[in-house]
Order: sequence, then structure tokens, then C-alpha cells
Amino acid sequence: MKFQNIFIAVVLGGALIVAAFMLNAARPVEDTAGPTAQAIKATGKCAQCHRQETGAVVHQYEMSAHARNDVSCLDCHRAAEGQTSESHHGFDITTEMTAKNCKACHATEYEQFARSRHAGPSWAAVHGKKHFSEAQFEEAMRHHPKAVDRKENGLAYLEGESAIVSGCESCHGVGKPNGDGSFGTCTHCHSRHNASVELARQPETCGQCHMGPDHSQLEIYSESKHGVLYNLQRARMNVAAKPKTLTTQDMPVPTCSTCHMSGLDGMAVTHDTTERLSWYLYAPVSAKRPGYQGGQNQMKALCTKCHAKGNIDAFYADAEKAVASTNAKVQEMQALMKGLRDDKLLTPQPFDEPIEFLEFDYWHYFGRTAKHGAFMGGADFVQWHGNYELLKVFKEMAEMAADLRARHGGAPDPAPEQ
Amino acid sequence: MSALDLILGSDRADAHRRLQRLMGLFVVGNLAFLAVDVYLAHLENHFRHPAEWVPVGFSALAPLCMLPALIRPQGRGPRRLWILMAALSICVGVAGLVLHLSNTFFVRHTLADLVYTAPFVAPLAYAGLGLLALLNVTDQPPQDWARWVALLAAGGFLGNLGLSLADHAINGFFHATEWIPVGASAFAFSALLMMALAPTDRALRGLTVGLMGVQIVVGLAGLALHIMAPAHGWGTDHQSVVTGAPIFAPMLFADLAVLGLISALGLSSAARSAR
Repeated sequence: MKFQNIFIAVVLGGALIVAAFMLNAARPVEDTAGPTAQAIKATGKCAQCHRQETGAVVHQYEMSAHARNDVSCLDCHRAAEGQTSESHHGFDITTEMTAKNCKACHATEYEQFARSRHAGPSWAAVHGKKHFSEAQFEEAMRHHPKAVDRKENGLAYLEGESAIVSGCESCHGVGKPNGDGSFGTCTHCHSRHNASVELARQPETCGQCHMGPDHSQLEIYSESKHGVLYNLQRARMNVAAKPKTLTTQDMPVPTCSTCHMSGLDGMAVTHDTTERLSWYLYAPVSAKRPGYQGGQNQMKALCTKCHAKGNIDAFYADAEKAVASTNAKVQEMQALMKGLRDDKLLTPQPFDEPIEFLEFDYWHYFGRTAKHGAFMGGADFVQWHGNYELLKVFKEMAEMAADLRARHGGAPDPAPEQ
Repeated sequence: MSALDLILGSDRADAHRRLQRLMGLFVVGNLAFLAVDVYLAHLENHFRHPAEWVPVGFSALAPLCMLPALIRPQGRGPRRLWILMAALSICVGVAGLVLHLSNTFFVRHTLADLVYTAPFVAPLAYAGLGLLALLNVTDQPPQDWARWVALLAAGGFLGNLGLSLADHAINGFFHATEWIPVGASAFAFSALLMMALAPTDRALRGLTVGLMGVQIVVGLAGLALHIMAPAHGWGTDHQSVVTGAPIFAPMLFADLAVLGLISALGLSSAARSAR
């Protein structure tokens, strides 16, 4: 039996396949500059149009881990349960994307997020409980009873709708109760089409909201040793390392997410940003959180990746002294204000008298700053932006209180000493 | 009794007629199916040009006109009608090719324009079916008839090679499996071509039959994969069928494999008669 013809057939077929490979590799630039393999992952149709209309979106997606892991546009954009969908050139997609769409693949991360203060409590801090469904309210109450069952924020509503929409909600929307039953969006920290872990690890990302006088975490971090070292060495770090296998070799210097969320050197990753906290530092008078000891143990365990235990304990002891000191100052200020209110020297309306603004600034700006500075290694914020202001503002408030009493016919109180 | 006897019967003189009838069924079935396929394709273009209805109408009517010849092959009337439909099919194919030449690919020369605009090669399916129909009424010796069938099937697989390469290139060869039809059609083409050139080579024929079996598997697997592709899995309206991965395209592999098998059977039958 001769195999000459079979041989020719095999060689011819093989040559055609090689030619096909070569043709594909030598496609003209007009083609290869168009949608790439990554961009095409939604059957080629999405990128075909969106390269022209919203090209950056396609490019961001191409750079994402989603693209590297074969996640298509439709995987995220199709309607989740409780969302309405509409036909878009043959694809059924939703226009109301929320954290629920991410939850389809990242259920654990979502559950952690949903029990954090980033979820329900952040929205309730502005609007109270009025936008919550019954189920959402119950879920939020299970984790943060006092933070959700509340009225809308008096100051925000005094400032008006545009301040709320363009200001408050830009940050507090991270935990918005959605119509589909979920809370918030993941894109606040991870961005949309980049879906980036690296982005979420950048201090500037957290700093989009955690900055300014009311909670100066970004500024404090930048002043801290952590921040200075990170800014110096970030180019040499593997900030895009996988969360579950992140090591101190990848990130020898921490950012916000490293301490509050990351699974550094085998620790469990969490999207509950409150899990490792021990104090309610944001409150006028800070109390220990219900999981005080567990939270502190977790955070200290993370600190030990870089610091000796003795140093960590000493650091915590100093920080807790700062909390106690600030609490005492705020309580003194509160006693001063209570006296004025009890004596009917102030109107019942909030924020209609100058001293009420100072009262608010006292704990909301300077008190918080002093406490955050102490816990985050920001000396300047403990001192000049914190305690110095507490001292100065209290003196001003005491003088204003004395004036009020004098104007209302009472004998001025002697200025209290701090 | 050999396998060939089982398929074509023991009457060697009648075997060629049976094969011709099989081929007739193949042509009529394909023409009828093209009505659905072209309707979906032109639906994407919203039937902007009235001429887009021509192939749909032709595909719906031609099989009906050709049925009598399948039932009564020797009848003069049915035979003439068959030839007329075959000639018209070639005309529809060539006219379609010319009309499709106006697409933007000839302006911009990009792969996207080649794939996403009117495919100028696609109408040639009508021409191919017309040629097969004509071949069926010529008085070719059985071996020559089978060689022509093999050549036309090889031409079909060469088209499949080009289409699967272009279509999947625009998809960025997202899944490695998208290379399978490229490789499968390349070997199918070369085997059928060689079989047409060396019709008495039994080993080559055996290989070709095996390869045609592979094409059927490739076609069915392609059908399943195209159905599972996102647009079909998640879309609910007709657009998802029109704009998604083409559902019927992979079945062209199985379809042409049937043609290849007919030619292999024809050559085997001719070889058996010669012995």
C-alpha cells in the first residue's frame, strides 16, 4: 500500500494551517489596532462599537484582571435578580448595575462589604433610614443597630439638595440601598472597567472620601512614616499582587487597605473595613466597639508582620490615651453646651448660632483629627490640627458662652481651664 | 455482504443512481435550509434592498420545483425543471456575489469589514448547489461524477477554511478551540482534493472518510459552542440570534462532510464495479 497521496494530503493540509497561522499573525495594522483578543471577550460585538463610542472603557477593560480571566462584558452587564433589563443590540443588559452584579462572582467579598460601615450606615449617615427596604433595614440593623435607625442628617438637609447630591452622596453612595436589595457599588474603590485591586490599594483611592477636616485619614497617612515610605518606594512594590497571596515582600509598606483589609502573609482578606477596628473614633465621645478585643487582636496581628509586639502594644497604649484625653475634652465641651441649652440660652434649631458651628467643629473636625492622628502615626495632626485647635476653640466657645450668659442677664461663668 | 453493499445495495448497476438520488436530496435539502439562513443574515441588514428577498424566495420555491425530479428522475418535465432550477441557482449565486461586492470591505480592506459586512463569498453556496444539481443530470461515468463531487466538496471546505479563519480572527481567537475548524477544514480540503486526483487510492479514501467523520463532530461541537456563546445564552430576542455567534455556520462542516462521504461512496462504488 502506497501512502504517497496521503502524505501529500497531510503536507498540503499542514501547509494550509501554517499559512492560516501566518496570515493571522500578519494581519494589517488596521485590524490589529482594532479590538484585541481581550477586548473581544464579549463575542466581539461590544468592543466593535464601544471602541468608537467610549474607547477608554474598552481600553480599561483590556488592562483588567477580568479580561485576563475571560470575564466578558455581559458577565457583568447582564441583569441580576431584582434588576430590570433591556435589549441593547441583541444583548439583554441592565442599566442599573450595583454591587449585586459583582456579587455573582464575588459573593464572599460582597457579604463582608455588606456588614461593614461602608454599606448601610454610610448612606444612613446622610439620609437616615428612609431609602431602605424592610429587608435592607433588617440586614443593616443586624450589623449596626444604632447607625441605621436614625433620622436624616440635619446639617446636610440644611445645606440643601445640591450639596447632598454632588457632595454627600458622592462618598456616602458607597453604601446606597439599591432597588435590587443590595447595598452600594464596588466601583467606588475598584473603578468600573479596570476592576482594579491595585487601584483599591492606593491610599488616594480611599482618600477620595477619607480626607478633609472631618476625617483627614489621607493627610494623616501622607504625613506618617507609612505614607512617606510608600510614596518613596511604591514603584518597587507589587501593588497588583493577588489579595489572597499578598506578602510583605509584595508590599513591605502598608497602605490603608493593607492594614484594614488585606490578607497579608496568610491573614484572611476582608472587605469589612471595620473588622480590625477597636474604637468608634468617628463619634464625638469614642467608645469601644462591640468586638473591641477581637478587632484589636486582628489589627495587632497584622502590625506584627513589620513591628515588634512591644512596640505595637506601646503604640496602642499611647493612642488609647489620646482617645481618653480627647473624650474628656469633648465631654467638657458638651457639658458647656448642655448648660447653655438647659438655661435656654440657645434656640432649639441646630446650626443657627455661631457657637453651634464651633461645637460641631470641636468633635467632628479637631476631636476626630486628634484621635485618628494618634492611631495612624500622624503627629502633626494629633498636635496642631487636633489638640491645639481643641484648646483654642474651647477658649473661644467658653468666651462665647460667657457673652451669651452676660447678654441674657446672668453672671458670666469663669472660663474653664483645660 | 460488504459495508458498501449495505449502504448502496448489492445491485452494482443501481448503486450510482442511488448515489445520485442521495445527492439530489442533499441539494434540495440545502437549498431549502438556505431560505432560513439567508433570511436571518438579511434580517441583520433589515432587508434594506428589495433584492435581499430574492434568495429567500428562491430557496423557498426551488426545492418544491425540484421535488418531482427526485421522485421521478427519468421524467422529462421534472428533469427540465430541475435543470432550470440548477441554472437559476447559479445565477442567484453569481448575482449575490456581485451585489455583495459593494460592501465596505472593498473600501477599507479591514478584516472587520470583511467579516461584519455582506460576505461576498457566501452567495456562492447557491452556485455550488447549482453545479451539484447540474452534475447530477450529466451522463458522467460514475468515477468522474464522484471526483467532481469530491472537488466541489473540497471547494466548500476551502471556503470553510477562509470563513472560520476570518470569523474567528475577528473574535481574536478568544478560545483556543476556535482554531479547530481552521485545522479541520484544511485537512478536509487537502484529503478531498487528493481523493479527486487519485480516485483509486483506497487508503486515501479511508482517510478521507475518517476525516469526514471528524468534520461532523466538529460541526456538532461548533453548533453547541455557538449556542453557548454569550449572545445566545443571555439574549432573549431575535437579535441575539442575528448578532451573536452564527449558530448554523458550524453545521456547514457536517453538511460538506456528507458531500465528501457521497463522493467517497461514489468512488468506492466505481472501484467495486471495475473489479
